Amino acid sequence: MGTVPDNSLYRTPDARRAGAREAIVCVLLAAFLLVLFAGPSVRSAGEEMNRGVVRSVVLAVGKPTGWLADRLPLADAVSDLTSRLSPEEDLESTDSVFAARDAGAAAVPPVTPDSFDPAALGEQPARPGPLRTLLVTGDSLSMPLDARLAQELADRGGVRVVRDPRLGTGISKSELLDWGRLSVVQARKHRPDAVVVFIGANEGFPMRVAGGRRVECCGTPWAAEYAFRVRSMMNVYRRGGAARVYWLLLPAPRDGARARIARAVNAAIAVAAEPYRAQVRVLDMGAIFTPGGRFRAAMAVGGRQTIVREPDGIHLNEAGAKVAAGAVLAAVRRDFGP
Amino acid sequence: MLFPTVQFAIFFCVVLTVSWALMPRPAAWKPFILAASYTFYAAANWRFCLLLAALTVANQVAAILIARADERASKPILAAAVAVDLGVLGVFKYYGFFVEDIGDLLDAAGLGLPLPLLSLALPIGVSFFTFQAISYVVDVRRGLLPPASLLDFAIYLTFFPHLVAGPIVRAREFIPQLATPRRRSDVAVGAAVTLIAVGLVKKVAIADFLAREVVDPVFAVPQAYAAPDVALAAYAYAAQIYCDFSGYTDIAIGLALLMGFVFPQNFDRPYRALSVREFWRRWHMTLSRYLRDFLYIPLGGNRHGRARTYRNLLLTMTLGGLWHGAAWNFVLWGAMHGGGLVAEHAVGERRLSRVPRVVRWLVVLHFVVLGWVLFRSTDLASAGRLLGRLAEPGAATLWSLPAVAAVLAVFAVQLVPSDARQHVRGWVQRRHPATLGLGLASVILLVGATVPSQGVPPFIYFQF
Repeated sequence: MGTVPDNSLYRTPDARRAGAREAIVCVLLAAFLLVLFAGPSVRSAGEEMNRGVVRSVVLAVGKPTGWLADRLPLADAVSDLTSRLSPEEDLESTDSVFAARDAGAAAVPPVTPDSFDPAALGEQPARPGPLRTLLVTGDSLSMPLDARLAQELADRGGVRVVRDPRLGTGISKSELLDWGRLSVVQARKHRPDAVVVFIGANEGFPMRVAGGRRVECCGTPWAAEYAFRVRSMMNVYRRGGAARVYWLLLPAPRDGARARIARAVNAAIAVAAEPYRAQVRVLDMGAIFTPGGRFRAAMAVGGRQTIVREPDGIHLNEAGAKVAAGAVLAAVRRDFGP
Repeated sequence: MLFPTVQFAIFFCVVLTVSWALMPRPAAWKPFILAASYTFYAAANWRFCLLLAALTVANQVAAILIARADERASKPILAAAVAVDLGVLGVFKYYGFFVEDIGDLLDAAGLGLPLPLLSLALPIGVSFFTFQAISYVVDVRRGLLPPASLLDFAIYLTFFPHLVAGPIVRAREFIPQLATPRRRSDVAVGAAVTLIAVGLVKKVAIADFLAREVVDPVFAVPQAYAAPDVALAAYAYAAQIYCDFSGYTDIAIGLALLMGFVFPQNFDRPYRALSVREFWRRWHMTLSRYLRDFLYIPLGGNRHGRARTYRNLLLTMTLGGLWHGAAWNFVLWGAMHGGGLVAEHAVGERRLSRVPRVVRWLVVLHFVVLGWVLFRSTDLASAGRLLGRLAEPGAATLWSLPAVAAVLAVFAVQLVPSDARQHVRGWVQRRHPATLGLGLASVILLVGATVPSQGVPPFIYFQF
């Protein structure tokens, strides 16, 4: 009736005999050791997940195991021992740098000349220095836009494009990656003359605001906290006025729940940019890809109907990234010249 | 739900324990394992569970009707079942390709194709479970397998270790394993743990590292790199895709072994091949034999003269390329391998065997690496751009010691003689299960330390 593979395909002749009990002992022992040595990671992973049954299950396991691991020195010891294997600097944060907010919130904030885009007032904008380094960053939304921008600018020559996408991350979740911290690292490491940011596919998480209170998405308190975080990042990226920042608003996603988050994110980005209009450009991808806030998978590109979104209804595909790159490059040229 | 994640670890600990507890009672075990597999699949997108269920019912009905019908009457039933399976694959996987690319060709010829442009979400694993469904109905019609019960067939199609990216397990290899409860006293624990640990190292520590440090930067913007980096990226991608896919397969086979089930082998050191033919006997072996049994042989195989044999080889490999993805670069990749097989056939094994082994190995390796450049590129133009950069002298900016060492290690390990590998495997498999658990935890901790903040990227073959 056919050849049914058996254990001898993988087991060596002199292998130790074992049964189901040993299989379970082996797996559960490994799991137990991982709880002892990496318990907080389980909790962090749960806190980073979108709401749902899976998150609840992971947190149900992660909270007690994290609690246990917090009381033992093992997780820290492993972290110290394996830190050399880590591909990046420590960007985790239980106490986000966003928490270091201005005191005296009740005072009227000052309005500076940076709040105005000179072009909007008919003035000649101050030309920044030459464009030598362009940083493209964000979550998965920034791909393949980053590659497209790099290709376009590589053909022109003379501009170094640094691509630093951080998939699965979000500004509203800072357990595994704190964008406040990352933006500082990026600005210090690459000293970019221009920064393109496209992020927002993984937002909507509750955030802790001043006083330790948690705010849920997507009302005004949540948008205000999100705007504060974005503004902090914009301030870092503009490097005291030496750099230009191009922050892309989100095109409407297909899914209704995500659309609600995208609306709050876009509103927050617009507010966040207000003090830095002289250096920060907010590029409205919604106007290009989803006019009127209505999702569409295809649009006319070069006179031909073309699919511009990925099947997930969130990301831009190659053709869409090419369109977005065109809009970004047009804005870059307005600032830096052709 | 990716294998190397916290959620899968929790899921598997629960499922493994309950599965063995229920194993003596198939009436309880079977619904449990089916529910577990659907839960696993629903974690990606619950809506596609409906598609999976509908395909299960459709193919089961077809299998029963085929078994009841005579030889002649069963043919249209089989054709209808295969059409349904391929229809699902076609709509979800190839619709966009057909409407955009083929539409352009028809437009140029003055024949419009008035179909709407849709961006359809691809059900994960659709290429694998549709192929397995086809193997079931075909094997039933060939008399190689009686129709299984609906529950057994549903478990076969959805069993979570192989559901999303294979290996492509034939119905007659798996369904008999459901006939009686798995033996609780005979579990290949040592082999399973070794496979899982090796698979994790391959995927997380090697494949993802090479992708991050070398492959992705160069393939995204080849213009920014000169020949040394482009060459390294081509070899690195060969190493990456092997470690990614065979790593997934190793983990899948290891998980199944822990649950008492055995899957066929899917990789056998493919980069030691001395011919293209041998490469396909070592690479994605379950797909190779599937294409042989369900496409090449039904097309006539090598039974009708040289010309027909060459045509069949080219057609089989080109369609095999298209199976990987709806894009011309996959088609060309498949055709290139088909061309390689035809060339070897034309030259003949006797003449080829006169060429020194090291020369044959180098030629085949570079043929395969060149193919991977096509496979990895987003389109033909970017493949051309990348290959064009091989003539561009310049600095080696990506040649770090870990990257070069990782690439060399992947190729070198495949050249290690079988005896030495067997010796190491034997040593590991003689360890006590507690030692194996300790070893597995250590590997996970070490491998986990290499994961960047954004987590583990999906396996390459998930997109197929």
